[in-house]
Amino acid sequence: MDALVLLIPFLPLCAALIIGVAASSGLLDEKASAHLNADIAIGATGLSCLMALALSVGDWLGKTSGYFSVGQWLGSDTLDIRINFISSGFPVWLAAVFALLLWLVGWQASHDPQRGAGGQRFFFILCLFAAAIQTLVLSANMIGTLAGWQISGWCAYLLVGYAYGTPAATGNACRVFIAQQIGTIGLLIGISLCYIWLDNVNWARLALATEDLGIGQATGVSLCFTWAAFALSAQLPFTPWLARAMPTAMPASPVIMSHAGIYLLWQLHPVFEQSPFARAVLGIVGVLTALYCSIIGLTQTDYKNGLAYATAGQLGLMFLEAALGWWQIMAGHCCLHVLLRCLQCLRADDKAQRTAAPQIPAPPIPSVIAGIGNRYWAFTSSLQGFWLEPIIDWALVNPVRKMAQDLCYFDSQIIDRLMGSPEPAIRTLATFAQHDETFSETSYSGIPNGFALGNGLAGKLAQWAATLMHGFEDRFVTRGLGSGSIHWLRKMGYAANRFELVIIRPRYLVLFVGITFLVAF
Amino acid sequence: MIETDFPILSGLVAWPLLAALSVAVCRHAQLAKMLALTAASIELLLSIAAVQQFNPANEAFQLVESYLWIPTLNIRFLLGIDGIAVLLLPATALLMLMAIGTAWRTQTLTRLHWVLLLLLESCMMGVFSALDMVLFFFFWQLTLPPLFFLLGLWGIGPMRRSAATKHTFFMLFSSMPLLLAIALLAINHASGAGGVDSRHLSFNLPVLLETPLPEPLQPAVFFLLLLAFAVKVPLVPFHTWLPTVALEGPAHITALLTGLTLGIFGVIRFALPLAPSAAVEYSWLLGLLGAISLAYAALIALHQTNLRVLLAYACISQAGLILIGIASLNMQGIQGALLQMVNFPLVAGSLMMIAGFLHQRIASTELAHIGGLAKLMPQLTRCYLLLAFASLGMPGAGGFPAGLLLLIGSLMAHPSLGIMSLVGVVLSAAYLLTFTRRFFFGPVNKTLSKHIQDLLVREKYILCIPLLLLLWLGFFPNSVLKVNQKTAEVWLTRLLMQPKLEGEVADSRQTGQWP
Repeated sequence: MDALVLLIPFLPLCAALIIGVAASSGLLDEKASAHLNADIAIGATGLSCLMALALSVGDWLGKTSGYFSVGQWLGSDTLDIRINFISSGFPVWLAAVFALLLWLVGWQASHDPQRGAGGQRFFFILCLFAAAIQTLVLSANMIGTLAGWQISGWCAYLLVGYAYGTPAATGNACRVFIAQQIGTIGLLIGISLCYIWLDNVNWARLALATEDLGIGQATGVSLCFTWAAFALSAQLPFTPWLARAMPTAMPASPVIMSHAGIYLLWQLHPVFEQSPFARAVLGIVGVLTALYCSIIGLTQTDYKNGLAYATAGQLGLMFLEAALGWWQIMAGHCCLHVLLRCLQCLRADDKAQRTAAPQIPAPPIPSVIAGIGNRYWAFTSSLQGFWLEPIIDWALVNPVRKMAQDLCYFDSQIIDRLMGSPEPAIRTLATFAQHDETFSETSYSGIPNGFALGNGLAGKLAQWAATLMHGFEDRFVTRGLGSGSIHWLRKMGYAANRFELVIIRPRYLVLFVGITFLVAF
Repeated sequence: MIETDFPILSGLVAWPLLAALSVAVCRHAQLAKMLALTAASIELLLSIAAVQQFNPANEAFQLVESYLWIPTLNIRFLLGIDGIAVLLLPATALLMLMAIGTAWRTQTLTRLHWVLLLLLESCMMGVFSALDMVLFFFFWQLTLPPLFFLLGLWGIGPMRRSAATKHTFFMLFSSMPLLLAIALLAINHASGAGGVDSRHLSFNLPVLLETPLPEPLQPAVFFLLLLAFAVKVPLVPFHTWLPTVALEGPAHITALLTGLTLGIFGVIRFALPLAPSAAVEYSWLLGLLGAISLAYAALIALHQTNLRVLLAYACISQAGLILIGIASLNMQGIQGALLQMVNFPLVAGSLMMIAGFLHQRIASTELAHIGGLAKLMPQLTRCYLLLAFASLGMPGAGGFPAGLLLLIGSLMAHPSLGIMSLVGVVLSAAYLLTFTRRFFFGPVNKTLSKHIQDLLVREKYILCIPLLLLLWLGFFPNSVLKVNQKTAEVWLTRLLMQPKLEGEVADSRQTGQWP
């Protein structure tokens, strides 16, 4: 019975491989094989759903042992990572709900007359996403969960950027993926801490060994996984990714993905029980997200955006339930909520298909509660999502971009020159002929002695030493303290000022503080 | 050391040389090309045979061949492999085969090009299998003339000759500290064996590994070796040759330079084990250098507008991550580094070859000239995306287990460097996806022809092989980890449990401390 759990992610994975290989090798023509691709995808997700339901029934009847292992995947020293799965409890029920929803998504997509070209790609991503999300939920170790999350992140990237000819879609896809990557930082650190302190990365071992962890250690592990759960479940400050991910070829996918964050909390509930501080963080962020999404949801003019904020708000409430220790309620809430929201997404897609329009026309601005509707600033703030994304861009993205720009300048103007390199001529020369004309005759105008020209570090050092000595001789020894020396000193002063202006920019101050913290850590 | 009856490693070094000779005397250009391809294919089979003969359960150097080369200086033609080098031989052979396949249709290539490629292959095999320091240095330096001519004569940029000169100067600069370190090690051995005399000199790596190095000499040897290999890796600030070469050099040669991690191999093989005490003491510095390279190159890559330069900086950043893993001095770190060294040639080499395919068609890889390629070249875009995802550590590809081991290893040893590595991972996703978005997605650039040829069958085969191998590494990482496990254990033991010098043992006995 337990072996059924393996088939739940494996069948969609096989379907994805078949569709992917057929598409890449040109074995099947995309238009001619549209129905075949749909059939493969629906068949695989349907069978996966049946397996999940059978396993759930088996679990309900007490026929499962709760664990199934295929074998070792990776071993290094004491790190033993196995391909193992959980075959009982909340993960199985959640997997059954996800499998049912993904089968419905596939079934609906197969009846979509708009799908046409690109269907192959859609069904490939659908199957891969199904395999990934089931691996995330059913894996008995943290690395499997991480792998499932990463692949579902890639699927989200491909789905959000499905209309890749549109810059907005691909821009959204990048943002969604990077938000997920930032979340995985927490998960990776959490996994490492579990391995360092418990010498194991299995969920079951973590649940059993929570008493071995001190309160500080429990808080550390919890906070790392909390960070990951915030990113996955679109809690503050990660909320905007969910709204950006909704205009996708499969709106149910971000909704399903966001509920996987609740699964992370459920797996960690014994550790959270040890750490009141981590639970407080969960509760506070959950409440703030629920409030934030409630206010923003009032002013949304797009149905899918409204759904996104409603989902994030409800997820916030689930975080609150976790903080209060209502784990069973949280689990039930999660299963029912994902079912409801995904059906709403499917309904929205269905409506779009029936109207035969690629997008639902924006409805008029709905009437909002008086507190917001009558106040311009409140209405604008809500409509703009309290400028959360611009704030993140201002605080994080723009400084990184500017730092990249500064470093690029530093690399080309200082390091590259210091190392005695020629600048790539492609920037200055248009043709080979121009290049040959300029360089072949070695007419280095303005330089009196070609012998003093150096190349490479040693050559440049020698050349600079010679120039420096010449300059010293010329300015100070031969002419004395004349206008030349003052000119050069002034230039040095300007350079020092410029350097000082650069290093007191906020991004560098923040960077220095960050480095100090890292060193201290 | 386990010697062999059949000189397979000498064969790996000599076979490309013989093939180069036959190509050189062949008058027909097409036949010369065919000969080069056949020779590279046989070389790949030979390297696979070497892997099959290798016994992973034994930690000693295997397939050892030893012949006296320069008797007066006690220099031997000593070849052998261990778990560190064994998989790099087929990786090199495969990358060379891919390079030949990539350059197959280039019209301007003469016989000399194929001769130089085969010479380069021979030298690289020598670098990976040399167990005598002078022999290693010999092969290391011999890689430079073929590369100089390959870059200078068949480069694709107007400054190709300057790029070739720059690369050669950098490598020559790096050879100075390498030679000095070799001399110091040999003299140290001689002084320990009874006096600085040419008879007592030894350049034999297994002997030098067993010869304790005095404490005052350790930092000098370590930093000299580190400097030598830092240029080759390359680490910041010695990295500037790589973007220049990537921009000016032919794509298949750049793929070889970026894919083959000669510098990192040098660090693992020589820099750390030969000066173990200094390596342990300054491991944080090694990690810091890696972290700086990782973040610096990733940030600069964010600002790049040329695919080849972006890939060059991505390689520098990845090399930084591997170095952080090595500096962690634990099994996860070193095994992650060794796994990544097998994974890296496949990913980086293939991506650079894709850049080459593009350059062959569009004569540019600059963002200003290209956009919306996904519509024009869907198959190439598909391959690019798969490889880009693999380079970012997508589960299912070899980068995932390698990256995981590197990150866990670094977080265990140096948490701050581990966090830095994680930030680097996010930055690498940012630069690669941002560039991909502008390069492959969005509206088609108006200057592009609407009839650009998508991947040819030959090119598909070239890319299919690394993709399949990456999947293999992703699903079965243990197949590689088991090959290098024993060697990695010995490597770590040598660093962390060092034998003391006789004088130091005597001192510790006098003070009553356990040595």
